[in-house]
Amino acid sequence: MWSVSGTHLLCPTHMESIANDSVAAARPLPTPRLATASSPEFAELYDEHSRAVYYLALRYLGDPQKAEDATHDVFLKVYRKLGEFRGDSSFRTWLYRITINHCHNLQQSWNARHLVTNADEAIWETTPTQADSPLRVLETKELGQRIQKALDGLSAEYRLLLLLVADQDMSYEEVANLTEQSPDAVRGKLHRARKMFATLFARSE
Amino acid sequence: MKHESKQKAEEHQQLAAKSTRENVAREFATTDELLRHDAAQTEVPPVIAERLSKSIEGLPGPARSWWQRIFDR
Repeated sequence: MWSVSGTHLLCPTHMESIANDSVAAARPLPTPRLATASSPEFAELYDEHSRAVYYLALRYLGDPQKAEDATHDVFLKVYRKLGEFRGDSSFRTWLYRITINHCHNLQQSWNARHLVTNADEAIWETTPTQADSPLRVLETKELGQRIQKALDGLSAEYRLLLLLVADQDMSYEEVANLTEQSPDAVRGKLHRARKMFATLFARSE
Repeated sequence: MKHESKQKAEEHQQLAAKSTRENVAREFATTDELLRHDAAQTEVPPVIAERLSKSIEGLPGPARSWWQRIFDR
C-alpha cells in the first residue's frame, strides 16, 4: 500500500533493496561483458555503452523483451556500420541516433497493428503539479514499474527527451541536435515533460 | 529458558531492523536524478552479450580506420 505524506511520496519496500540502498545508490550494477576475441575494441564499446542503449530502449518501449532485441540489433548495426561514423558528433550521440531510429521503427510497426490513443495534453496544463517538489520514495523493486507507468503516460517525444537529458553524457545541445530542434525548444518541452512526469509519478502509487 | 529469551530478543532485534529499513526513504530532488538512479540500477540482461557474440562471430571485423578516431575522442 502506498501512502502520500504532504508532497512527498512514500511507499512500502522490499527489505533487500533497502539493505543494499547505500551501496546500490553509489554504484551502478555491473554490465555483463561481451566476449569477442576477434574485436576487443567493439567489446569495449559494448561494455561502455550497452547500459545506456538498453535503458533508453527499455524505458522508451516499455517492454524488456523488445528492449533486449533492440539492444542486440542496435549493436549489431553499430558493428556493421562503424566505418560510417564520421566523428561529427560524440559516439554516444551517434549511438543514440541509431537506437532512436530503431525504436521508432519498432513502435511504428507496432502502432500500425494496434490502435494507439495519446493522452490529451491540455489536462496537464491545468493539473496541480509537483514538478518542483522532491520525489521521495522508499527504495523498492516497484520503483522501476512506477517510473515506467509514469513514462508510458507521456507522449513519445516527451518520454524521449526526459530519458536523453537524464544521461549525464548528453548536453542540451546534443539532445537538441539529436531530436532535430533548437535547445530552447528542448528546454520548453522538458519543462512540460517534467511537470507531467511528476504528476503521473505521484498518481502511480 | 535462557535460550528462549535470547531467541525472543533476537527476533525483536530483527523486527526492529526490518521496521527501520522499511521506513528508510530515498529522496530525489529532480526527475533527472530519479531516472539516473533507475538507469544505474537497471541490469543489462547477460543474454544480449551472448546473442551479440554469436551474431558477429561470422562477420568481418569493423573498418579499423574509424576505430582510432573513436578512441581518440
